[in-house]
Amino acid sequence: MSISYTNVRAEVRDDIVAAHDRAWKRIARAGAWFGGKTRVAIAAETRHAPDCALCARRKQSLSPYGMDGTHDALGALPERVVEQIHRIVTDPARLTRGWFDALMAAGTRDTEYVEIVGVVATVVAIDTFCRAVGAPLHPLPAPQEGKPHNRRPRTAHQRGEAWVPMIHPKDLEVEPDTAEEQSLATYWGGVPANIRRALSLVPEEAYEWFRLVEVQYLPGKAMRDFANEYRAITHAQIELIAGRVSVLNQCFY
Amino acid sequence: MLRASSKAKNENFDLSLIIGKAGDGNIPHGALLVAFAEAALGADDARLADTQVEIRAAIGDAALVDAAAIVATFNAIDRVADATGIQIEDAKAQSTADVRAALGINAFAESRGEVADPRAAQPAPQMAG
Repeated sequence: MSISYTNVRAEVRDDIVAAHDRAWKRIARAGAWFGGKTRVAIAAETRHAPDCALCARRKQSLSPYGMDGTHDALGALPERVVEQIHRIVTDPARLTRGWFDALMAAGTRDTEYVEIVGVVATVVAIDTFCRAVGAPLHPLPAPQEGKPHNRRPRTAHQRGEAWVPMIHPKDLEVEPDTAEEQSLATYWGGVPANIRRALSLVPEEAYEWFRLVEVQYLPGKAMRDFANEYRAITHAQIELIAGRVSVLNQCFY
Repeated sequence: MLRASSKAKNENFDLSLIIGKAGDGNIPHGALLVAFAEAALGADDARLADTQVEIRAAIGDAALVDAAAIVATFNAIDRVADATGIQIEDAKAQSTADVRAALGINAFAESRGEVADPRAAQPAPQMAG
């Protein structure tokens, strides 16, 4: 099954359709640390999170911490994974380092954590687009056979720039030893902002996520090319929407 | 980036639109695009449908698609930033300290028990430009 927006009144750009189709199919395939079945389960739990009563109570409370309970979950994933997904979906602005550390202590590995973030972000992006443009949500893809490659990039280090280890481009100049790191080095081609490095502990999540971002938003060079316009709305209009969304999400970064 | 765009274009965009100030802020259809973003993230389907129709009528179908794509991108990328705990880069912190302080954005970091960039503790500048 391929992604389609033929049922939308406004014609969706071909590059958006292709990017969504690529991202959707990636969810169904084995990744670095999870097989397709688990990745699709993560996607399903991402969609299910807004219906969780515990998350709703936490969202209304002064602090989400100290409010115990069990998530309304679909039952395919461990509770610590459900906690990660639901909190990122429903209350991302109040995530803390202590919360992250508790998930690590509960048994989630940092690599798994990052891959989950990548899947959640992909689903949130595509589902939000559907709602905003007036399209029904796409059915989740059918899981594909295959095993995760389980390759951790040696170039990823904890430098205190994030909760998760990240790759610094300088390390890729001398150290890359996996295909994923080499692809990341080619894709970056310079020193990217921390947001581009955020998922680099799972390199393919980092560059595949930004392939989607660049289609939906703007390619890197176009972002600061204020002399030219690349979309049907101007740079100023784009950044106004981006800024308003980030304020509504209370995102400091 | 909005301020960078404002400077590059030598136009006086009102950045306080992003914190909910009414009006267009010197950006064409600014109020409509803000209303659309708010509706897309909200739960009021009728309001969202109204803003979709208004954007198609005022700016065009392609604008609706591109605006939807921006809402989608930042609704997700904010979560990547929050979930990975990435720090704001030094250069970006310095160049945006005044705006973040003026718009109250540092409070987002403080609400999660973090210390906002100390460079933000400077006199609040004018919002625009």
